[in-house]
Amino acid sequence: MATTAESRNGFVIVVTLIIAMLLMLVPLPDFARYFRPEWVVMTLIYWAMALPHRVSIGVGWLTGLLMDAMMGTTLGIMAFSYALAVYLIARFHLQLRQYPLWQQALTIFSVVLLVHLVAIIAAGPDMNWVIWMPVLTSTLMWPIMYAVLRKIRRTFQVS
Amino acid sequence: MLALLASIVLFFLDSRLDYFKPVRSTLSTLVYPIQATASLPTNFADWIGDFFHDREQLREQITVMSATNKLQSIRLQKMQALERENMRLRELLGSSFRLQERVQVAELLTVDLDPFSQQVIIDKGNNYGVYIGQPVLDAHGVMGQVTETSPLSSRVVLLTDPSHSIPVQINRNGLRAVVTGRGLGENLKMDFLPHNADVRKGDLLVTSGLGGRFPVGYPVGEVISVDFPQGKAFADIKVQPAANLSTSREVMLVLPGEKIDTEPLLAPTPAASEAAATVTPAASAAEMTLTAPQNQSEEAADGDNR
Repeated sequence: MATTAESRNGFVIVVTLIIAMLLMLVPLPDFARYFRPEWVVMTLIYWAMALPHRVSIGVGWLTGLLMDAMMGTTLGIMAFSYALAVYLIARFHLQLRQYPLWQQALTIFSVVLLVHLVAIIAAGPDMNWVIWMPVLTSTLMWPIMYAVLRKIRRTFQVS
Repeated sequence: MLALLASIVLFFLDSRLDYFKPVRSTLSTLVYPIQATASLPTNFADWIGDFFHDREQLREQITVMSATNKLQSIRLQKMQALERENMRLRELLGSSFRLQERVQVAELLTVDLDPFSQQVIIDKGNNYGVYIGQPVLDAHGVMGQVTETSPLSSRVVLLTDPSHSIPVQINRNGLRAVVTGRGLGENLKMDFLPHNADVRKGDLLVTSGLGGRFPVGYPVGEVISVDFPQGKAFADIKVQPAANLSTSREVMLVLPGEKIDTEPLLAPTPAASEAAATVTPAASAAEMTLTAPQNQSEEAADGDNR
């Protein structure tokens, strides 16, 4: 792969995104269904933070579009919210990298909340409280997610 | 900024325009491998489970199955006789009627979609002739209808989706109504029936075939509670779906071209006028809310506006 010094092993990013999509679809027991973290958003956020020159708004948008097709939502809803998330993270990626992990997690909380908000506004008003659970579980999963993806990035020397 | 603009254009294209469907179907095909992979673990677990089936268990299963088989073939004998009698009577009335529809079996992809929208994905698509609006049944009753197709897979919206309605009639007295989903794994509700409507707890609801989308006579659900709230115009009726919406793995697609002949309804036969007389004023002609009404549903609308 290694064409230039700036960008190497881009396929690793694609593979992690595909794995995240699989995790969004794998059947869970009924009680756990509402607690599924937003794996794809978190993966996107990590890469946007670590390698903002590789994972641009366009990548976020395309991923969102695929998610739209997969979940059966109106095309463009998730594309929009994912692009928004990547934009916010890329805008503040230098600060975010300096934050301690718990503070990062809080940022994740607000970004996932925003992504969710867009989806909910599009879906309609009559929803109950469990719809907010993924925001919480995503925040709790962030430290693990961060550690795993950093390990992947260093092992494959993605840049 | 560009992404924002593109998203807005997409919102518009996808929700308003019909010829945007191919794009959607291409995208669906693109993500099909991911969906298929996601359903692999469950399929594999099932396969392992089958492999290590207990000998005792299998024997027991065979006993139970042969017993039910006997029972059902006895019923079928009678059914054939009844079917023929029904045909003869209908011939006398001058109407043609098909009792049996041909079906095609499809399997669900075991993937979890958004838990708040009531949809499933099946493993048959355009290549097998699946079309939008095709009715989907399981062994116990109606499950829903196809909303979106791609070459390899299609998406089925279930009865419980809030945007889905199905025209039904009560098996006991032929009273017609519309049953709508409420989402979130809840029961269905029966809309627009006045307080004096003859509905009882335990009534079986079957498809009425109005609208020409669902074949006539398949079970939809059972009435589990009837309530007449004070100060409301309509009764509050809850319906338990007959199909196993959450556990069925194999579904049946009703094949086209085997629809009920609607011609006798157009002719002023005694059967038609009798049927029209049982229409309640409140039974709305709101057919499938998902798509534009077909021309067959005009007949239904005429009857209801009387």
